[in-house]
Amino acid sequence: MNITSDPWIWIGGLLTLCIFSFLYKDNPFYKFAEHLFVGVANGYFLTFTVHRVLGPNLFVPLFVQGRIWYVISLTVGMLYILRFVPRVSWLVRIPIAVTIGYYTGAVIPATIQADIIRQIQATILTPQNFQSWNAGSSGIIWSVILFVGVACTLSYFYFSREHKGVLGVTSKIGVIFIMVGFGAAFGYTVMARVSLLIGRFQFILGPWFGIIE
Amino acid sequence: MKILEYLSTLDRRIIYLVLAIVVILPLIFPSIQRVRVMDPVGKLFAAIDAIPDEQILMLDFDYDPQTQPELEPMAVALLRHAFNRRIKVAVLSLYVQPLGLAKKALDQVAEEFNSQAKIRADSIVYGQDYVFLGWQPPPIVPLLGMGISIAEVYPRDYYGLRTDSLPMMHKVRNFNDVGIIVCVSGGNAPIWWVAYSQTRFGVAVGAGITSVYASELYQYFQSGQFSGLMIGMKGAAEYEETVASSLRVSGRRKATEALGSLNAAHLTIIIFIIIGNISFVARRRK
Repeated sequence: MNITSDPWIWIGGLLTLCIFSFLYKDNPFYKFAEHLFVGVANGYFLTFTVHRVLGPNLFVPLFVQGRIWYVISLTVGMLYILRFVPRVSWLVRIPIAVTIGYYTGAVIPATIQADIIRQIQATILTPQNFQSWNAGSSGIIWSVILFVGVACTLSYFYFSREHKGVLGVTSKIGVIFIMVGFGAAFGYTVMARVSLLIGRFQFILGPWFGIIE
Repeated sequence: MKILEYLSTLDRRIIYLVLAIVVILPLIFPSIQRVRVMDPVGKLFAAIDAIPDEQILMLDFDYDPQTQPELEPMAVALLRHAFNRRIKVAVLSLYVQPLGLAKKALDQVAEEFNSQAKIRADSIVYGQDYVFLGWQPPPIVPLLGMGISIAEVYPRDYYGLRTDSLPMMHKVRNFNDVGIIVCVSGGNAPIWWVAYSQTRFGVAVGAGITSVYASELYQYFQSGQFSGLMIGMKGAAEYEETVASSLRVSGRRKATEALGSLNAAHLTIIIFIIIGNISFVARRRK
């Protein structure tokens, strides 16, 4: 055991224990650590935004390099502040419209291509899928399971007809796939949370107490 | 039956205590865990290994303290792979919070290699072998803008140096000069790289993600949109194993060290779930 004398590691370790103390019950130590985290995170973000974003991307080009057309960006951005002036608060719609317009144009084609067309392509059974039994996710077995799973899960969410007959069977199979999906998601979530716990103990037992390397 | 009744009303703090013990003990008394490398990780390693000399590896480190235990070992293993194979690396972050951790990983791995270098040519030099581009918001700007010009999106690097003055960046203009982008993220960022950068410019994308996002993002590997994928601490341990066994790169393997605790914790949780369900069924029958 070789306890560190580094004050920053002590601060990190003590704050970790403050957060862990919530597992026993809510207490002032937990509240202190939580509020400190929020304050530090916001301060860090604000400082970084001013120095690394607004400075080099707006203030320097506009006020130092004299690129006068940057005044358009500054003006449109400043309109957000008019939200707090009731008489002219409607002007806030201009920067909002610019932002929404840009993002809508950029997001819609990208999402359709990446999330819909390519995913449908990957679900369609092609002769290539039937060339081998076991070729990872493109072999016959997994390709057919994938196709059946997608078709049956979609049928479960078809609510325009009563789930009877063929639709009843496929929707029940769909429920099985959905449950497997939920189970996998839950299992992965548990793994993630346990990993975070391990990370904290690696820090406490390692750099702080020096019990492990 | 009394035992089942007791277990069904067990104080959650006792469960926390048991879980803490089963996590701590394997860390103090480690045992060798065999790591089997799965297809998604193997493909990611192969994709990075196949980057030609004229192209670079672009790493997007988007992890913060909340996701650091799962994702930092991935970042370190990726850098060890790239530096060992002399693949040039450009690192960036789409958010502000990960910058400090990204710099820490870069400094750590560069120091590992430089401390073992016998001649100057073996050293890893900033600007020549790797650059740290930093952060340029909003994320859509680098995602789309770097397809046209990296130096225009990042006129200066993290340290304030002019990007186009760095020797490594003289021949790196846009995504055409990038072999693969690997996004190590605790969120949805890997999908953005696929949706914007890959769809528009055709660049290859790989991902290292937290376990929470696995069921949401695995489909992008199945569809071939991700060239490879690392999932959670297990994925990080697999990449560490591949780098260590294939390239004989030494160095601490934090994810592999954690597998004993991960296994023990999972086993404990499974036991608690079984006990909880048995006692629930028993109480209902009563």
